[in-house]
Amino acid sequence: MEKGLEQNAVELDSVSTYYYGEKRPALRDVTLRIPAGSLALIVGPNGAGKTTLLETILGLLRPRSGRIKVLGYSIPAEASKARALSSYLPQDFMKPPIEPFTAREVVAMGLASSSFSGRLLESGWKKVDRALELLGMMDHADKPFGKLSGGQQQKVLLARAIVREPKLLLLDEPFSAIDLETRSYIVGEIFPGLLRGGCTILLVSHDLDCSSMDADLVIRVVDGRVGQVIMRDAHAAH
Amino acid sequence: MLLISSIIGGVLAGGLCGAVGAICSRLKLTTMAFSMAHAALAGSALALALGADIISLAMLLAIATAMILGPLADHLRIPIDLASMTLFSLYNALAFIFIISAPGPALMTESVGQLLWGSILAIRPMYIAYLLLASMIVLALLIIFWGKISSILFDIRLAEAEGVNVKAYKYAMLVIAGTTVTLALRMTGGFLVFSLLYVPAAASLQLQARMKNIIAASWIFGSASASMGLLMSFLYDLPAGSCITIAALIILLAASAYSRLRASLAAGRRA
Repeated sequence: MEKGLEQNAVELDSVSTYYYGEKRPALRDVTLRIPAGSLALIVGPNGAGKTTLLETILGLLRPRSGRIKVLGYSIPAEASKARALSSYLPQDFMKPPIEPFTAREVVAMGLASSSFSGRLLESGWKKVDRALELLGMMDHADKPFGKLSGGQQQKVLLARAIVREPKLLLLDEPFSAIDLETRSYIVGEIFPGLLRGGCTILLVSHDLDCSSMDADLVIRVVDGRVGQVIMRDAHAAH
Repeated sequence: MLLISSIIGGVLAGGLCGAVGAICSRLKLTTMAFSMAHAALAGSALALALGADIISLAMLLAIATAMILGPLADHLRIPIDLASMTLFSLYNALAFIFIISAPGPALMTESVGQLLWGSILAIRPMYIAYLLLASMIVLALLIIFWGKISSILFDIRLAEAEGVNVKAYKYAMLVIAGTTVTLALRMTGGFLVFSLLYVPAAASLQLQARMKNIIAASWIFGSASASMGLLMSFLYDLPAGSCITIAALIILLAASAYSRLRASLAAGRRA
């Protein structure tokens, strides 16, 4: 089977992750299957291990034990290949006003990361503008990224994540600064389009409002463990 | 002839230092120049103790430092700046031991003096050729790989999450910075090479808001600082490094004054 077209986008078997110098695992013995093309909502209280789970999936944190496969690639050995097909929006990502890049440049970086040299052709810049337009940020394209509001910065980063046309989209509290109207638009219009294109979305939130989202599975993380997986579809398996 | 070659050398070395300094300061690698410069000092002291060629050993140790700095920081799980200051201490300690062990008045030799205080005499045709080659390589790398470099400069963690080989770029940056410092310190001296790396970057930040323009302005200010400084050194028979530092600071002050004037004019227009 071609890489990236697996039945499961993410597979974790007995995975434990420790932060350097810590004796207690941040993730303990996690086993999880996330079907390709699904929207998975990861919920849980602060400090439960939700962000650790995303960063372990991407290989940004090395698991001490267990096996991870993302889009058919073993993590961490083939992490760079899996990351090239993925997009990540980190939690609380804010830059100061002196940030020396415009919104358009920040979105373009998403495409540059995937090509050999990072140089963008005209078609690449058109994609960048389309992504900005989709998020309603075209009017702010040439403004310095740091001078945008928190919500606008989140929208630009979401545009950067989308422009990569990812097979796996990992979003860590992506709506923390975004207004309700835009949030509904993203969930109701943008996410379905991505899912139809075969993208798998993992969305972390501790906000209960998100639980009402039309997710294929809801993963509850408590104290570093996957406490409960609620599946809408029969093929999603814990 | 000496003046012309000095100005050419100054334009090249200053520009290179300015551009590399702007990138290093953005990546919070400002202290890496300390370890590189003092590696060169320890290398020259070792050469004196062994009776070897001073310049070659100084260059060798500085470039070796650039190559081990990144892996050492990763191995020790500490920031590169901290690893750099650790090596800086080590090289100071070694330099003192080698100087004490060297036969004769080591600090008075012309070669060591050149590495400490800088000299216009260091600018020879081969030195200019090395600078030209290094400038062309840095410029080509910046143009070709700007997309990925800018992604790292924006946010290193996000670039890594998107599959950019951040470690390789970081190590390459350190080797480029190490080579730049090693080349420049023959002209400015080990004590003052920092002025050519970071003062032009500070001046460019007064006037420019976009990363590409910051690097370009820093390149220009570095060139201007070095060539003006070398001209002063030539005319008044003063140490090259000191004159370059004073020129760089004059440019910084002028840039800051212009920036404030521009801001107040803009505020006046808005009112």
